[in-house]
Amino acid sequence: MSMTLPGPAPELTVGRQGHYAGAVSRLVAFGADVGASWGLYTLGVALFNAAYKLFTGNSYTLSNHRLLAVAILAVWEFLYYSYQWAVGGRTIGMAVFGLQVVTVEGGPIGTKQAVLRTIGLALSVLFFWFAFWGIIFQRERRALDDFIAGTAVVYSWDARAARLRWMARAESAPKGTIAHRQEQEKRLEPEEGAAS
Amino acid sequence: MSPNPIGARMEQLAQALAERIVPMVIEAIDIDALIDRVDIDKVVSRVDVDKVISKVDVDKIIDRVDVEKIIDRLDINAIVEKIDIDALVEQTELGSIIARSTTGILTEVLDVIRAQGVGLDDFIFRWGNRLIGRRRRIAEWPEGPPLLVEPREARAS
Repeated sequence: MSMTLPGPAPELTVGRQGHYAGAVSRLVAFGADVGASWGLYTLGVALFNAAYKLFTGNSYTLSNHRLLAVAILAVWEFLYYSYQWAVGGRTIGMAVFGLQVVTVEGGPIGTKQAVLRTIGLALSVLFFWFAFWGIIFQRERRALDDFIAGTAVVYSWDARAARLRWMARAESAPKGTIAHRQEQEKRLEPEEGAAS
Repeated sequence: MSPNPIGARMEQLAQALAERIVPMVIEAIDIDALIDRVDIDKVVSRVDVDKVISKVDVDKIIDRVDVEKIIDRLDINAIVEKIDIDALVEQTELGSIIARSTTGILTEVLDVIRAQGVGLDDFIFRWGNRLIGRRRRIAEWPEGPPLLVEPREARAS
């Protein structure tokens, strides 16, 4: 006998693809990114210390040189965010929580926007109370970093399981989604072909 | 029997002759030599196997088969002993099956977590704007960028 667990509703999964992402998802993804970047930084520092000791015989602790450590951390964080946004429009945390940075129109972002957004994020962190309110009260849910870079954040997760359940239950995708639009276009294709 | 008496006699004679001659002829025939002369391949190639099969009632044959009797005759233990389990496991790529099922479970768990996030996003967005008296206005706001989500007006039409 097979048992199927009740899954999340399509309105909260497939039906939300391409919609502006909200505060909780973005905050949780940001938290995951802070953890991931810090983890990788700590690992890198530990590896550097081990390699330094191996080759020179002396031990070197980066935390003893605070200014240098902060500078390296700043450069690392800058690279962490800007590189990932430039490559795929998402960081590790955003990928896990199914978010993506897109242009205001909805297209893929470029390197310049990725760099601007990283600078904007640093400013947003410095002015937390002011910068992030836009995610809740602005019509396109854009924070300060989004305004600086001309970007928006959308839900982009595929929700494979949810999609399969949706397909099993309903004939078509929810109205207003990209999947629905693609379905409509597919339906029109044979008619157009027959007309020509 | 024929109504003509001569005809009846002739008939009896012919039958008696046939009864004697036929066994003698059969004995004289070398069946093996005869079969050697026949081109079996040619005969077989002429046979329409599909036609023959279509005439066979397979269901009827299966109904007649006593499967339990056949199973009783089988020495399952001997068969199992012959199976090379290691080779079988290697061929079924058990590792990839486990990996696939694990990925499926992880994806489903992730879907649930993400959906919870979306639910909370909606709650905070709705109540945050309701508190500052924007309840009606947010209903007209776009749901997503124009390239990704159709505008509400277009959907309504």
